[in-house]
Amino acid sequence: MKLLLGTLYLLGILVPEELGYDGSLAQHRREVVEETVSQRRGLDAYSYTRYHPMEEIYQWMIQISEKYAEVVTQHFLGMTYETRPMYYLKISQPSNNPKKIIWMDCGIHAREWIAPAFCQWFVKEILQNYKDDSRIKKLLRNLDFYVLPVLNIDGYIYTWTTDRLWRKSRSSHNNGTCFGTDLNRNFNVSWCSIGASRNCQDITFCGTGPVSEPETKAVSSLIESKKDNIVCFLTMHSFGQLILTPYGYTKNKSSNHEELIQVGQKAANALKEKHGTNYRVGSSADILYATSGSSRDWARDIGIPFSYTFELRDNGTYGFVLPEAQIQATCEESMAAILSVLDDVYEKYWGVDSAGKAASSAVMLGLLFSFLSLL
Amino acid sequence: MPGSSCVIGCGLETRKEEPPFSQHCFPQPLWLLLILTYLIERLMMCRDMPAVNEWISFAPCGCSNPRASCRGRTTQPEEVGSMPGTELLNSKPRIVNPKKECQVDLVFTTDRYNPEEGEERLGKCSARVFFRNQKPRPAINVTCTRLIEKNKRQQEDYLLYKHMKQLKTPLDVVSIPDSHGHIDPSLRPIWDLAFLGGSYVMWEKTTQFLHYYMAQLSSVNQWKTNDDAIDFDYTVLLHEFSTQEIIPCRIHLVWYPGKPLKVKYHCQELQTPEASGTEEGSAVAPTELNNF
Repeated sequence: MKLLLGTLYLLGILVPEELGYDGSLAQHRREVVEETVSQRRGLDAYSYTRYHPMEEIYQWMIQISEKYAEVVTQHFLGMTYETRPMYYLKISQPSNNPKKIIWMDCGIHAREWIAPAFCQWFVKEILQNYKDDSRIKKLLRNLDFYVLPVLNIDGYIYTWTTDRLWRKSRSSHNNGTCFGTDLNRNFNVSWCSIGASRNCQDITFCGTGPVSEPETKAVSSLIESKKDNIVCFLTMHSFGQLILTPYGYTKNKSSNHEELIQVGQKAANALKEKHGTNYRVGSSADILYATSGSSRDWARDIGIPFSYTFELRDNGTYGFVLPEAQIQATCEESMAAILSVLDDVYEKYWGVDSAGKAASSAVMLGLLFSFLSLL
Repeated sequence: MPGSSCVIGCGLETRKEEPPFSQHCFPQPLWLLLILTYLIERLMMCRDMPAVNEWISFAPCGCSNPRASCRGRTTQPEEVGSMPGTELLNSKPRIVNPKKECQVDLVFTTDRYNPEEGEERLGKCSARVFFRNQKPRPAINVTCTRLIEKNKRQQEDYLLYKHMKQLKTPLDVVSIPDSHGHIDPSLRPIWDLAFLGGSYVMWEKTTQFLHYYMAQLSSVNQWKTNDDAIDFDYTVLLHEFSTQEIIPCRIHLVWYPGKPLKVKYHCQELQTPEASGTEEGSAVAPTELNNF
């Protein structure tokens, strides 16, 4: 009996080790499980009403694309000047029909913190509601969303570590004596002609040439490669409470200016209904100031029909340093505005009218051909 | 006030002596000066203004582009009362000599600087603002009705003053608001006073094309209360909207309730020569503040 027990005891020690089982593996498995749980908990605990440093936003992107893997993928866009990776999220409902693209970028100017906060809010809203909300479901039937939460990553980090009111990128010029290009003056559209400076010391420094900056190059390349499918280009800024249409480099209006104003005004009305906030709508040259080399103007000029700059809250009370207490209201009202634009874009390309028109013209053609064949 | 030797335009000096409070300065309760700063910020705005303590961006209105309508609401009667708590603002920009002079007439309502919950709208004001030769420091003629009566004003000034006297010095202040836009309630009076001084500086620098906001109080160099006056030496970051530049300004102000505010400043300009309030402004002759 004692011998049997002794043998069993020995076996109990030896065999598990033979099988490779020891405490450390169990421990490791436990840790993996805990980490996944905490990551998921991390996303559950992620606050969309606080500002997040870049490290947290990087983490958030990974967590989002894992949790909503059926519709979200994270894509590498390019590297910043300080060699940080730029990622965008693609939200796409798998289907057989061809999609058009909505592009949204935030944080091209480093100090405009409410913009990246809004991009994150937007993604969260779409993903939390795309299954149940008929409006969002409809949009995702024919539209893919490409969202770049922070375009000027180096600058954004700099506002966290060093200078809250920094605007430009962090590229080095003049032998390291001067830093930063205004990325929204660096696009290849009437580059540096007006409202921008050739002097690196200036806050609207247009760079050493059109698309001289890696961040601009990264965005331009992607947009250029997909321009035939992009119907809407939205770039988010603060502050000023404005919905801006092209152009900044000239007072001339784009060919679809009336339509852009109409859609913009509808969006401003939808925005106002949320919390009473007033936004003005107009071309950048008319209601803001002259600018050249802006991403919005460039997008319009390569053929993207709906191209807007949004200047979010507020009107100057806090300006760039918008209190976190206002993030929720700002994001709610801005969401209403963006969804209004998207609805109008959707209507234009896939709406009842346009479907009806397509159907009736198909019928007419059919009748015509059958008539001709009878002759 | 403008043109007065005791207030703006003195440049930054070390405080060796305490200049006597000039008789030419209007004794201004603090809150009235806050209204003035509010007014300054509204100068070219031509739009509805919800609250005194809300900076509103203003754009060149009318005088640079006569055909441009003023931002926001101007003369659309159907919009009256459409936004709760605001009043329609009328503004009629008038070009006296194109590019030489710009005059704007405004009507607006005012609010307490730190309004309490559910508080009613306060004053109604009308103002005429005049820029000459595109120079800064516009001449302002303002008339208000229904403001808080004098006793109450003085009471509130004194309460604010008492609160400030109780703040522990040296003030442990890095920046107000902080990066996330928070202002600790205990530090609010410091911001308010800094804002008041900053608004004088902004008035001095505002032209029909340049408009300013106070982005941040970036440092407090000194906060003293000798001789019973609040002696406040600090740096603000002004944001100019059309150029998007950030301009640091060192401001030194002295305040005692019932006595005129004294402001001296020095701003670090990037391209243009440094401004210490000595350049000639549009308000060449001293303008009087009426009906206070």
